[in-house]
Order: sequence, then structure tokens, then C-alpha cells
Amino acid sequence: MVDVIETDVLVIGGGAAGANAALKAAGKGARVTLVVKGLLGKSGCSIFASHLPYHDISTPQKSRDRLRYSVRYYNHYLTDQDYCVRMGAYMRTEFFPELESLGVYWRRDDEGQVKAVTSRTPALVAHKQGASGIIIMERRRRQVLGAGISVFEECAATSLLQSGQRVVGATVFDYRRGRLFGISAKSTVIATGHSDYLAARATGTREQSADGIAMALRAGADLANLEIQWWHISDVLEPKSWMRYHFYPNPLVGTEETSRIYNSEGEMFFEQKSHNPTSSAPYVEQIRRLALQVAAGKARWDGGYYSGYDHIPSDIINTYQHQAKIWKKLGLDVGKDRLECGITLHMRQGGILVDTERMETSLPGLFAAGGIASHYLGGVGPVSYDGKIAGEAAAEMARAGGRHDLPREAIAAEERRVFGFLRAEGGGVRPVEAKLKIREIMWELGYVKNETKLLAALDGLLAVRAEMVPRFQLQSTSRSWNTGWMDALDVCAMLDACEATLRSALARKESRGPFYREDYPFVDNEEWLCKNIVRCERGEWTSRTERYELTHLTPERNREPFFEADY
Amino acid sequence: MNHSSRPTTRPDTIRARIYRFDPETDQQPRYDTFEVPRRPLMRILDVLDYVHETLAVDIGYRWLCTSKKCGSCAVNVNGSPALACWDEALPEMTIEPLSNLTVIRDLVTSRDDYEKTLASISPQLVRKEPYQSFPEPITARDFAATVHLRECIQCLACQSVCPVAAQPESGFAGPAVLVALSELAQDPRDGADRARIAGETANVFKCVSCYECERVCPSEIPIVSEAIEPLKRLAFRHTDAAGARRARAFLGEVKRQGQVNGAFVALRTKGLDLGAVRLGTRLLRRRKIDPFSLLRSLLGRRRAADAMRHTYESVEDKP
Repeated sequence: MVDVIETDVLVIGGGAAGANAALKAAGKGARVTLVVKGLLGKSGCSIFASHLPYHDISTPQKSRDRLRYSVRYYNHYLTDQDYCVRMGAYMRTEFFPELESLGVYWRRDDEGQVKAVTSRTPALVAHKQGASGIIIMERRRRQVLGAGISVFEECAATSLLQSGQRVVGATVFDYRRGRLFGISAKSTVIATGHSDYLAARATGTREQSADGIAMALRAGADLANLEIQWWHISDVLEPKSWMRYHFYPNPLVGTEETSRIYNSEGEMFFEQKSHNPTSSAPYVEQIRRLALQVAAGKARWDGGYYSGYDHIPSDIINTYQHQAKIWKKLGLDVGKDRLECGITLHMRQGGILVDTERMETSLPGLFAAGGIASHYLGGVGPVSYDGKIAGEAAAEMARAGGRHDLPREAIAAEERRVFGFLRAEGGGVRPVEAKLKIREIMWELGYVKNETKLLAALDGLLAVRAEMVPRFQLQSTSRSWNTGWMDALDVCAMLDACEATLRSALARKESRGPFYREDYPFVDNEEWLCKNIVRCERGEWTSRTERYELTHLTPERNREPFFEADY
Repeated sequence: MNHSSRPTTRPDTIRARIYRFDPETDQQPRYDTFEVPRRPLMRILDVLDYVHETLAVDIGYRWLCTSKKCGSCAVNVNGSPALACWDEALPEMTIEPLSNLTVIRDLVTSRDDYEKTLASISPQLVRKEPYQSFPEPITARDFAATVHLRECIQCLACQSVCPVAAQPESGFAGPAVLVALSELAQDPRDGADRARIAGETANVFKCVSCYECERVCPSEIPIVSEAIEPLKRLAFRHTDAAGARRARAFLGEVKRQGQVNGAFVALRTKGLDLGAVRLGTRLLRRRKIDPFSLLRSLLGRRRAADAMRHTYESVEDKP
């Protein structure tokens, strides 16, 4: 029988959302346990944060611009607009001051003025554009480690434990030592992020295998808008591991110019400044323009087009852009050379359905904060807001409620499942082969989707599940950092999350934002300005929709051709 | 227009010899060799990924970002630290875990000792004055001295090659911890007694300025000159740490008589006790110290020393 640890609040995930949830729950007096699959503040996608929107509401126009950015360009109206207003106020009045009080140095000039991204919607950088996440998360890491929170690093939650519907804790796999243990919690916050390594080219990293989505799905939670997945296009092609290096198409620090993207014939086909001037998050427009280039044979999804800053003075790029270092490393000149790019699956807009007042999910006792939730795209600032709300609400629930018994049978079943993979004999399939297969299926599906392709991808996933998983065979039965064992567990999570994503994509019969179905090439605000919700209970998939309330902003047109929309 | 793809004259196969060790089952480490087809601009991590993914070998390795942000993938390549995601793959590579750290499995090492040491130096900003409001009145000039220190990603490459940190009994915190400490110590907002922490907790004077840390830093941080030396100066001025006493005695000796007398430096560093008397007697017997020079220096007001003192005074006047 596995060991069980008792805590008041369990937080799963060590990025900006999880760290803040843990801190704020501890600040309310709760005993907090934080479980991180990678290393606190070093794994996940928070360290990738480039620059952080400063929600300037000093004039009605600025206020409108900022809300428009959040609602229209960042979330394509698939968000709670009142939440956006509250979150903006939090960032302005709490987030920047709190991090500055911790010592984060928001870049200044010699006179002490904050050196911001000066677009219609300004943003701030810590140290450099592209380095903000590292700086912020290192301070957060030290803050959490100094706050008396019990932290388990390199430990992956594998299942949510339930008493009836209520979530009462989780099982956790410590892969450094190869042991499984249970955590009994009065309330649980899940914060495992929105950037998963689910396609052959993706921003998500080793540990990001959509575990949070998979666990919530298996527990019967409602999931919304999983199909709304951002692809980035200005990401390095080679070396392959550098696909996570991204040349920001957004407004930059220190210049009015923005990066440019060129096709294989050297024609510039995208720059935010001229092609998407009202949006400072031009990602969805960028990929539409690439799609046209690919259709014209002037670019491929994996190469044949180029990006760079060669039209901008190098000293500005070297001073303010973290990415400038890669030119130097490759012996290239940022003032002259362009780098070949490919697209990457970047992040998921949707996730676990939450109410945005307390970040409660459809399962009692379970809160979801940050990118894993479905209400907002993400970003270090917004997810910190979620962490605060969820952490405080979880602490309140822990104080008010009692402890539920852990479901012993479910723990034993999870132990059988996890240790069932620890075998060096069997069908001869290495788990990593299944991992690559899933990523290949999702890459092939790619940006341009239709029903036939979606069904084919679903068949592919079901085949991996039926034919590869039962034949898993590891190279060793060692319990210490057994890579194959970790791969096996990752594959299970990836299969569940990808299947839910495809079913969700089949249900949404329109195109919107980063989601493009060539069989429904219209933004359909009449039918589809809604949460697209899926759930799976005992193998039965159900789906439903819920309309968003448009409390502040409404799209001008009910229906417009996808390639004509600017959001 | 210039593009990054250039014709390559390098061999099209990489031979990677990878350290394998599982503390659960192995008595001794072994090396497995893999042939990996070269891809353009390939990094060390791309080679490891190929072995894990395409060759389906369960090597233990750690990475979390592939973009020189998390600092978790540093390994030794041909005997010297490299950041796997950052440094180019070589045609012949022996890839091993970083030195002087406990191996968890194959290339994965434990960061626990570093974290424990980091925690001992109060790694959070301790404000002199309570924080007021955003944005606080600071300028880029206040942070100019630490601009390179902010590039640190805690990859522990420096820590692994430091000959002093390799000896835990030295009590030396190691270069990575000192970079973090120095950033705080040079932060105009910080009010903690960083001098004491540097001198007594982190034992900054144990640094022998061998520059190994700088040599291997993937972020090219001038660790000795911009992190460690400012800490030594701080501790020298404001603490009574043994290293500070030694430096002061050294300086005083040169100032007084234009040369260093080892016996005085030792006396002023460690004080006079039975051990010092024994050591002094032994050194006298072996003629390692010259009693007449001791006398001379006690009485000494030689011209050379006067000249040296003038030099000192002219330097000390400067800010």
C-alpha cells in the first residue's frame, strides 16, 4: 500500500499559476503541498514569458484598447469579459507591484522611466524582451521555497482521487525514486499549464504531456474549447530543439519596427506594424498569411520561409531582445541574417471549465488556475491572478470543510496501472515510439483541419491506444529516473488529451482565431460564440455548448469569412 | 539576402559515447556509443533526443526548455561542461554528467546541495525600506553593474568545475550561489547584511580566482570580476571574516614596509594562540621566517615603505 501525505491544500503545477496559488493559500494560513513535474519555476511555460501587458486604463481610449486586446485579439471573444476587466485591474494594482517588491527589475531607462513595449497596448519587460519569465520565476521560486510550503519536485501527479464526485487528493509519481504516493487534501488546485508537447513541432517541453487535462477528463470534469490551439510561425527550424525559440512578431522595446517574415522568394509576407496594426498579439493573422504562402508554394509548414530583425538597428535588438543571443551563438549577424522558420503548436486556449469568480471546476473540491483552465488564453500575469483567486478559495474551502477518506480502491488501481508498465518483457514496443506517433498524428493534422482529417487523426490515436500501449516493454525495471516508464505514463495522458481535443474540434463547426476548419471557413458568431464543452464518463463522450455573455464588447459581424477576420 | 543554411563540410555522422549509470543496479558506470546522423546546426540535446526517441534507448537526461532558460541540461562534453540545448554537437563526443554532483541516473545530477546552499544566503531581496508603489524610483544606472549577473540560469556548470566547491569541507558556497548573492548585494534596495553573509556564510574569500567558473559559463558572465570580487571588497570593508582579516593584514604589511611578512599576516588573520606559537617556533626552526626581519619590520620606517605609503595614500584618496 502506498504512503499517504495529508495536507490542507494540494497544488499541482509549479509555474506562475501554481506558485502563486500555493503562496496565496499559505498566506491564508493553509498547510500547502506543491507538486511539480519538473522543477519549480524552471519547468512549464511560464519561463518563456516575453513581455507582460500593462493594463493602462488612464484614459477611456486606453482602457478600451486594452480590453479589446484581451477579448478580441487574444481570446477571439471566447472569454469572460468581466474576468478580463478584473484581471487587468489585478495586473495594474497587484501583479507588477508584488513582483517589483520581490526584487524583479522592470526595465528602466537612465532617467528611471519604465522602458516599455510602446504599442497601443503597452507591455513591460524584466531585463529583456524574452527573458521576463526566467527572471520572474526565479524570484517566485525563492519566495515559495522560503514560505514553508512543502514542495515535491520531479514528481508527477498521475490521477485525481475522488470520494463520489468530490476531489479529495491525488496520486503522485516520484520518478527520481520510482515510488507512488497519495496526497489527501481538503481542496486541490490544478495548474499544469496550456503548452504541451503534443505535436512533432511544439513549444511544450519534455514534462508537458497534458497530464492536467487527462486527469481532469478521467475524473469527469467538463472541458471547454480544447480545440482552440495557437500555432506560432516565427520559430526556429534548425536545430530542432530550438523550435522553442520564437521571434516575437509583437511590438518591440526600443523601436517602432516589428519583426518581418519572408517567403522562399524573399518577399515579406508579414509584419505586425503594417499587416495587423491594431493587434499587439498578431499570431492568428500571421498564420493565416502563412497558410496563403503555403498554398502558393512559397513556404512550407516546416521551413522554406524566414524571419529576422535585419531592418532594425542591431544595437536595439542586442540591448532589448533576449533572442539576439542566438545569432551570436550561430556566428550570424542579427543586422543582416535571417533564420529559417517552421510552425510550432504553441498553446491551448481552452481547458478545464471554471467559474471565473473562484476558479472552481465542475468537480467539487477541484480548482483550476492558469492556462489549464478554459476561460483565458494565459500569460504569466493573468495566470498569477488565477493562482491568487484559486489559492485563496481553496484555502477557504480547506478551512471550512473536513477531510474526506481517500478511496483506497482507486489508489490501489492506480498503483496497479503505474507499476503495470514497469516490465522489461512483453510486446516489444518502446513507449517513446507511441509518443512520437501521437506527435506525428497531431502534426499531420496541423493547422488546416476538416472532418475527414479529424476522423483520420482520431482513428490514428485509437490505434496507438489499442495496438501500442498494451505491448509496451521497457528496457529496464529500474525505479530511478526510468525514462521509458515516464514515457509510458506520458503516452496515456497524451492519448486522453488528444482524443478530447479532436472530439472537441469535430464539434465546433466554424473557424475562429487560431482554429481553422476548411470545411467551415466562416467565423460564426451567431452559432459558435460559445463554450464548446466535452466530458467523458465511463467511456461515454458527451458534448454541449454554452453561450458567452458579451458584457462589454461585441463582434461587429455575425458571420464573416475566416480569412477576412482580423481576430 | 543571407540565410542560415550553409554548406557543411563536417562528417554526416556524430559518434556519441554516453555515460550510463543506474545507482539502483550498477556497480560501475559504463559507456554506450551511438551513431547519430548529423542535422543542420545540431545541438548536444538534439543528439540526446535522437538516442532517446529515434533509437528508443532509455538514457536518463534532464531538460526543461531547450532555449537556455531553465539551466537544467548542463552535462560534461569531452571533459568540460556544456549546456546541452545551447552548445553545438561535436563529431566525437563523450557525454557525461557534470562533475562533483551526485548522479541520479546517467546524465541526471542532483541539484539538492546547490539549493541548500542557496537557501543559506537569504536569496530573497530584503528591503532596506518598505516597498512603496509601482514603479519605484530606480534607474537603469542602479542596475548597470549587475546586468550580466541577471543572465545566470543556475545551470551549475561553474559549480561543477570549481576546485574549492569540490571540497565540501571548505565551506565555500561556490560560484553559482555567489552570482545570486552578488546580484542582491549590489542591489541598491537590499538592506540585508550581505557583507557578513559573503564573508562568513558563503566564505567568499576561499575563492582562489582560478577563473574556471568564467571559462565554462554558457552565459559568459564575468563571475570573478563582476560577482565574486565585489563581494570580496564588500566583506573586506565591513566584516571581520578570516579572509577579510587576512586581506587587511596583507595590505597593512605592504603599506607598512613595502613587502609581505607571512608571520604577521598569519598573526593578524588567526590571532595569537598556542597553535600559532607552535607554528611560529616550527617555522623559525626551519628558517622559514627571519627573526631579524621581524624586528626590522617592528621598528621599520624604511624609505621604501614610506614610498609605498605615499602610493597608498594617493590611491586611497580616490573614491
